[in-house]
Amino acid sequence: MTPEERKARELFELSIHRPDLAPADADAELQSILDEHIHDLIRRGLTPEAARAEALRHLGAALPAATARVHRSAEHRERRMKLQDLLQDLSADLRYALRTLRRSPALATAAILTLALAIGANTAIFSAVSAVMLRPLPFANPGGLVMLWEENPDFKWHMQDAAPANMLDWREQVGAFADVAGYPSFPSTTTLTGHGEPALLKAQQVTGNFFSVLGVRAELGRVFRDEETWDDSPRVVVLSQRAWRDIFGADPALIGKTVELAGRPVEVVGVLPRRFAFPGLEPDVWQPMRWSRESRAQVFFRRAHWIHPIARLKPGITPGAADAQLQTVVTRLQRDYPVTNTRMGAGLTPLHEFLVGKTKLPLLVMFGGVALLLLIACANVANLLLVRAAGRGREAAVRLALGAGRGRLFRQALAESAVFAGLGGAAGVTLGWWGTQALAALQPAGMLPVSDIAMSWSVIGYAFGATLLCAVVFGIAPTVWTVRRVPADVLRDEGRTASGTLRARTWGEALLVSQVALALALTLGAGLLVRSYLLLQKVEPGFDSRRVLAVSVNLPGFRYDSTRKVIAFYAELERNVRGLPGVDAAAVVSQVPLGPPTWSSTFGISGREPLPPGGEVLHRELTAEYQKVMRVELVAGRLFTEADREDAPMVVLVNETLARQYFKGEDPVGQRISFDRIPDSTSTWRTIVGVVGDERQRGLGQEPRPEFLAPYPQEPRSGMTLVVRTTGDPAGLAPSVRQIVARLDPKLAIASVQTMDEVRAASISRDRFLTVLMLSFAGVGLVLGIVGIYGVVAQLARRRMREMGIRLALGARASQLQWLVVRKGLGLTMIGIVAGVTVALGATRVIRTLLYQVAPVDPVTFVAVPVLVLLTAGLASWLPAARASRADPCSVLRSD
Amino acid sequence: MALLKGTLDVLVLKALSFGPMHGFEIIRWIEAGSDGAFAIEAAALLQALHRLEERRLLTGAWGITENNRKARYYSLTPAGKAQLRTETASIKSSVAALRAILDAR
Repeated sequence: MTPEERKARELFELSIHRPDLAPADADAELQSILDEHIHDLIRRGLTPEAARAEALRHLGAALPAATARVHRSAEHRERRMKLQDLLQDLSADLRYALRTLRRSPALATAAILTLALAIGANTAIFSAVSAVMLRPLPFANPGGLVMLWEENPDFKWHMQDAAPANMLDWREQVGAFADVAGYPSFPSTTTLTGHGEPALLKAQQVTGNFFSVLGVRAELGRVFRDEETWDDSPRVVVLSQRAWRDIFGADPALIGKTVELAGRPVEVVGVLPRRFAFPGLEPDVWQPMRWSRESRAQVFFRRAHWIHPIARLKPGITPGAADAQLQTVVTRLQRDYPVTNTRMGAGLTPLHEFLVGKTKLPLLVMFGGVALLLLIACANVANLLLVRAAGRGREAAVRLALGAGRGRLFRQALAESAVFAGLGGAAGVTLGWWGTQALAALQPAGMLPVSDIAMSWSVIGYAFGATLLCAVVFGIAPTVWTVRRVPADVLRDEGRTASGTLRARTWGEALLVSQVALALALTLGAGLLVRSYLLLQKVEPGFDSRRVLAVSVNLPGFRYDSTRKVIAFYAELERNVRGLPGVDAAAVVSQVPLGPPTWSSTFGISGREPLPPGGEVLHRELTAEYQKVMRVELVAGRLFTEADREDAPMVVLVNETLARQYFKGEDPVGQRISFDRIPDSTSTWRTIVGVVGDERQRGLGQEPRPEFLAPYPQEPRSGMTLVVRTTGDPAGLAPSVRQIVARLDPKLAIASVQTMDEVRAASISRDRFLTVLMLSFAGVGLVLGIVGIYGVVAQLARRRMREMGIRLALGARASQLQWLVVRKGLGLTMIGIVAGVTVALGATRVIRTLLYQVAPVDPVTFVAVPVLVLLTAGLASWLPAARASRADPCSVLRSD
Repeated sequence: MALLKGTLDVLVLKALSFGPMHGFEIIRWIEAGSDGAFAIEAAALLQALHRLEERRLLTGAWGITENNRKARYYSLTPAGKAQLRTETASIKSSVAALRAILDAR
């Protein structure tokens, strides 16, 4: 640095601190003192040599040592002062940013709110993504766990539950598995008695080695032992942390004590840790399977498929290698058990993938939605800042002309972005915290593992990253503001033509176009979901859900130990409920439609060849008035009557789908069937007495499946649902029904009370949740996009105010001038729409499987949404245009 | 005679309170002011100057001496003037206290 340059920099108070130059500087200074000293001594009469020696002696040390000391102190000075300057600049920049922020509170509030909303939504959704997809399962070495499943091309099975006997064989014969545990694929309940009011508890059965395979230890007591899989071990139970606290008051002395479950004494052997959670299972109590050892050899143990087996791979074994070994065993089992295992295949999937598989797509879609929203919000705020930066071009130019460094201006503008992003991010994380709570509370049951959704470091980290991204996107504004700007041009232009440079305008328009495109893509996606949801909601389920109450009851086997007692209870319940005022009809059914799957089997028709394998039909049991309650029509034959009792001839109803698939061109009524594909002498024959309308058994979006309906007294079971058609509000009848149940059996706990409308709504609650969420993201995105259009067009209108004034004064019509401005807004919107539609055409394919009878490129949506956007954009452009064209020409022209 | 520990800084500030000086001028000023009792070594002075500049008590800039040679001139900042006042007061009271003790009989 030359002294002149240094002086110039000092004059403008620019940073001059260069540690690298300090030694040379210090040398020069030391030399100058020496020279002055020598000169002084010579003037006093010393010879040059003597003067030099004397001056060196006066240095305080030998020259090299003195030089080193001075170097050190000079370098230290430069380093410290440079740092101080930096910190000072930074705090000045931040103060300046806060001051400008306070000067335009409306803009600041708008920008920060926009960011907070977007970052908050992102934080909330990411917390769900992180809990479901990113966090490893809370088990020891979860990567070594795989879910085993069966498949059978004849039944069109893939990833089906396994038969228990097959699971036990895999456990023993597949060398790659260290161990295999299992749990039933259906939930169960048990009744706790002798501990206050009888309570219905959610129970989960598991094999004895379940917890050891997962590598989970009890917090208190112990988990199950391997031999407890079998029924020759004493009855034991392990409590969930929640049940232990809520039901038993966290009593540590409970371990080893006996409680009464389903009327039998059971020893509490352990309590699970708080952080143990198995996705999809949230039981109060865990119980061993208690299979009988004889059942292993029996055919039903290999025929019925109802177990989810989890295998722990031996260390170092890959899933691929384990699968190869599994296939060998599967082939052997196919050969050894032709009756049950022909064509029965098996496979494995990493446990985590299997458990979260279904949640993955909706979550990723939501995540994509909020990510788009964040980009839109960033573009929006960047545009706001850009508009302002362009307005301050004169200020920047003046400062540049006065010698301010471009780097300094850039840093200052960046500080402003950082302040916006920082405040928005902080507000966003706060909002996100609320959003996370709301998400956990509002999500449909079972969609997300609620207990795990919470703010975590990874969530905070994500929010920080999102904030950083915003700051970088805003960084565009300061770049435009400062870089390659020729002060003279700006100063000359400013005031008159006042164009806010071309660069700024181009950037602003580019930002606007991308904003419109992103918002449109998001809205198209949401539009498809809305269309699909509306169609789904309108689907006829095959029954009339209005004014029907459904009350589920499960009779504990220890008190209802004969079918006679069970049948008598439900008959008495029906009779009592029918006597209530406001009741039209009442019946009991083993499972209401739109619910979880019921049991299924193949069947045989008398006098015909056996049906090909794979024809699985559903089964339900119900009493005579069921079709009257649900308003299901009788198509042929008759319904059940009170006469279809346990000792009467065995009869059955079929639904229309079954009649159509298996009795084409024949009358099913009067035909005899058996629930065995190849009936033998032990088979029970039943006569089809009627054909009834189809009900959608599994969900509104799923076609009805062929179904047999048996009269309840001929196929009794202990867990049934009472369905009641009422003349008034069905929910209002619930207390009376509860009273009747309590009168019939004071110790009976009711499992659930719902109206059929609620059942129907619950069956599409996931679709509704996703749709509402995406719709609100799209709504916010669209509003931001429209605000963006409004902002850019308003800016344009203001710039052309003077021109318009002149034109108006010369006799132009206001509408012509308005069109001039509106045209620009619409033009930009059109480019955005084309880009957005192009993006959406590719992207909506991702949500194909979430749509019901709507193509991913649905013409209705792809026309309606762009038209809507164009209309709103037109309005948003017209408002500022109208205002500008109404301006008084005189005052506009005078104002400059 | 050696300087009392820590007094060089305040002497430099005092010297500059009469106007900007370069290093050798400061040395001469202190030596003359003490009647040659204090001998200031150049290296020590430069270190003191760097230290004081780092604390923003003075600023340095290159200039030309009356002998037409390059030298770094130092001048007090407002902070430096304030520092000189407080240090002067504190040293004076210390010296008075020291004298009181040492004069005791």
